[in-house]
Amino acid sequence: MSQVNADDLIVTRSVTKVYHDDGVPVPAVRGIDLTVKRGEFTAIVGPSGSGKTTFLNVISGLDQPTEGRVWLAGKELSAMSGRELSDFRRDHIGFIFQAYNLIPVLTVEENAEYIMLLQGVGKEERHRRVEEILAELGLEGFAHRLPTKLSGGQQQRVAVARAMVSRPSLILADEPTANLDSTTGAELLDMMRDLNQKSGITFLFSTHDRDIMQRARRLVTLKDGLIDSDETRD
Amino acid sequence: MHRRALCAPIETEGSMRLYLKLAVRNLFRNKRRSFIAGTAIGIGLAALIFTDAFIVGMEQNMIASATDSFLGEGQIHLAGYRESYDVEKTIADQAQVVDQLQHDPLVSHFSRRVMSFAMITSPSNVSSVSMVGIDPDQERYLSQIDEAITSGSYFSGDDKHDIVIGDKLADLLEASLGDRVVLTVAQAHSGDLSQEMFRISGIYHFNIQEMDQAMAFVRLSQAQSMLGLGDRIHEIALRFTNSKYGADASLPFWQRYSRNGNEAVGWPILLPDLKAAFELSSFATWLIGLILFGVVALGIINTLFMSLYERMFEFGVLRAVGTRPSIMALLIIFEAGALGALSVILGIILGALATLIMAHVGINYVGIEFSGVTFRHLLYPVFEVKQYVIYPIVVFVFTILMGLYPAVFAARMSPAKAMRRSF
Repeated sequence: MSQVNADDLIVTRSVTKVYHDDGVPVPAVRGIDLTVKRGEFTAIVGPSGSGKTTFLNVISGLDQPTEGRVWLAGKELSAMSGRELSDFRRDHIGFIFQAYNLIPVLTVEENAEYIMLLQGVGKEERHRRVEEILAELGLEGFAHRLPTKLSGGQQQRVAVARAMVSRPSLILADEPTANLDSTTGAELLDMMRDLNQKSGITFLFSTHDRDIMQRARRLVTLKDGLIDSDETRD
Repeated sequence: MHRRALCAPIETEGSMRLYLKLAVRNLFRNKRRSFIAGTAIGIGLAALIFTDAFIVGMEQNMIASATDSFLGEGQIHLAGYRESYDVEKTIADQAQVVDQLQHDPLVSHFSRRVMSFAMITSPSNVSSVSMVGIDPDQERYLSQIDEAITSGSYFSGDDKHDIVIGDKLADLLEASLGDRVVLTVAQAHSGDLSQEMFRISGIYHFNIQEMDQAMAFVRLSQAQSMLGLGDRIHEIALRFTNSKYGADASLPFWQRYSRNGNEAVGWPILLPDLKAAFELSSFATWLIGLILFGVVALGIINTLFMSLYERMFEFGVLRAVGTRPSIMALLIIFEAGALGALSVILGIILGALATLIMAHVGINYVGIEFSGVTFRHLLYPVFEVKQYVIYPIVVFVFTILMGLYPAVFAARMSPAKAMRRSF
């Protein structure tokens, strides 16, 4: 596996994804080569339909590429069974989606500890970590509330807490600020960047919001399913 | 940084508790839908509980009507007597049989009888009847003739010419209390006709056509004398210390008294139509259950799928964050289980309520004949443990089984597709 270095967290080679709409092939991703190193804070940007979500889905093993190969934390995803992929995502990837991230019938605390329960983390350790992350994200006092009793920004922070608390290698965020106002969105991104700096967890997020994308240290622009530009900032 | 092996065990007590919590809370997420679905299944269960209670009540009522009126819970005859009613076929070793019965702990009472076809004649009319010779004191514990007397008395004096007949027969003969009638029978062995005049001392009403119109009761000794039987008898009717013994063919009792040419049989053999009717009722209960649950099954699947499609994105997220397919299936099974539990609670309440009300009010089938038995009392549904244990368990398991299809669907769902399909 010469294409993957120890420092590389994500490696994609010639990844394509073609959907079929009533039998008509619709290419969403058309051969992307990308390497993301551990600890990066990278934004995948581009207009609607440029293939951002599809690419993130393929990277995370939520979707299979039509062609090409994906390595994550040194493991090739296409070699894994469905169950192995589930366990791999559980242990290595934290997810933040644009909305409806949380299970509405579970409290903030229960949502946050869900993945740890899947991992089999003990009760005391779960509570300690949840308490810690909720405090870090300014959600003290919200532990026993249901998501419906929180604002959009608070809900996304709980989603970040859930993604972080299981201590993954990578956090994938698909348009995490899409349903938030610009101030709340900017605050969320700043918080994610802080966590990236403190914990060293790699963040890869998609956005089409120009203000938000300015906060990324690396900006990968997709256009029509291909990388249009890839710039790193200081 | 904490890392776990890929195949780490995940079914911890904590996660199971969470899945249960999820299932119960999801059930109450759409209260109206869950309540409607639960009520539909619950009504199915309630119907099953009530039908069973009704059938058990009907069976007990019919058995009581059949055995308490005259038949008894079992009978002893000479083998072949029941097929021919031949007057000569009297019980063998009567004295020994009677002695045994007197000391048998299973037997509470018994009554010796002599029976024959006879002709009854009044000044106005004539009719064929069954003449039954009874010991009034013994018979009191076996049949309800004494309770059914509507005019006159039940062999109150010691007049050997007393006869007790049904009201319909009295009407037919245009005879009333105190009138004289003549019974004519054919004697055993010789076949010679024997006639005796009796005075109507009692008239009864059973509301059973056969008994009210075609039976005439005289004293045992008188019947034996008319038939030339000496002290021999045709039948011993039995009442047991436990009414269930009559239907228990496995009891050694029946073999014990089926010796020396005699046969002892319980009421299911004496009333084969009744037994067949009960088997039919039992089959009908299951058929009703099957139809009810066939309909309910579609409701359960529909409810679970509606709930599943509504939460497609949520299921996608659950799969995305690492919930295994088997756990997804388990979540749906747990939801089906929660729905089943709600339904069972509703069903038990509704079923118990319906049974309780009808067990208090009673259902009036009095006078109606079914499978050769006429209902003599109000019919009361009967509570039985199985109705509240077996049927609810069946419904609960059934609901879970119905959840398997949506569960497999959820398990096979691709997380990316699930999230796409929700928009």
